[in-house]
Amino acid sequence: MEKACVDLNQLINVFTDASGAVYQSDKLNCLYLDFGGKFARFNCNALLKFKQAVERIDVEDMLLSSDRSDYELVTFNGCEHIYLLNAVEVISLRSLLQGAFTMFRLNHLINDCLYRLVS
Amino acid sequence: MKDLMRIKCLLSTEVEALLNQQIKKEAHSSALYLAMASWCNQNGFDGSADYFMKQSNEEREHQLKLFNYLLDMGANAISPEVLGVKHDFAGFREVFEEALEQEIAITQSFKNIVARCHKEQDYVTIEFLNWFLKEQREEEYKARRALELFEVIGEEGTGRWHIDKNVGKIEYNSEA
Repeated sequence: MEKACVDLNQLINVFTDASGAVYQSDKLNCLYLDFGGKFARFNCNALLKFKQAVERIDVEDMLLSSDRSDYELVTFNGCEHIYLLNAVEVISLRSLLQGAFTMFRLNHLINDCLYRLVS
Repeated sequence: MKDLMRIKCLLSTEVEALLNQQIKKEAHSSALYLAMASWCNQNGFDGSADYFMKQSNEEREHQLKLFNYLLDMGANAISPEVLGVKHDFAGFREVFEEALEQEIAITQSFKNIVARCHKEQDYVTIEFLNWFLKEQREEEYKARRALELFEVIGEEGTGRWHIDKNVGKIEYNSEA
């Protein structure tokens, strides 16, 4: 999906860093990952699975082992997207997704507190 | 901003992971009791073999109860891999000692999950786990009583035969 096809003003910026951003659409109940020149749409479960797939990559082995490629294909069954990443990109993506999920957690805590205050 | 994760799933990632770990522990318990049933059967302790077979089935039911709860809450329930199940035991008494140790470990594990749920104020899961805490009272009681038969009856002479005949009669009837 091209970034130009989506109206960014309709999206909520969940987390941004130097490598990319994660956006949320409250209207469509979905998330967008803007990373490495690719703008990809995920549902919640898919983004969580994608994050777990990124975290499972052994970066140390990628850097030190001469038997394996310097690149890693990241995807999972049922995922519409495939990323080909080098070690630096894996670290960047990991950091971006961790930041986004920290924000989700923070948002959950705030929502939880607000419900308590109101009721 | 909508809490999309909460809409999809009632549980936090941490509680989900802990419950999946518990599923694995229950599966391991079930497999271990099955191994104990096998050992008892091969050594002529039919009553104990039946007792452990029943225990194994109960652990499997616990595993499925946790599994279904995760699914009902919108979480990812993971079918566990069970490795390293012990099949050799030094003797009849050691089988029951291991069974009690196993139950104590399971109780401790549930306490840890409940502690985490209290921290997160996840009262829904606490209410669900209360059934398991009560169940553990029974499980530990039965395992302890079984081991106490070795002290009460003694292993000498026909002692083991009597222990084997009485293990299946242990019941927990407390209404407390």
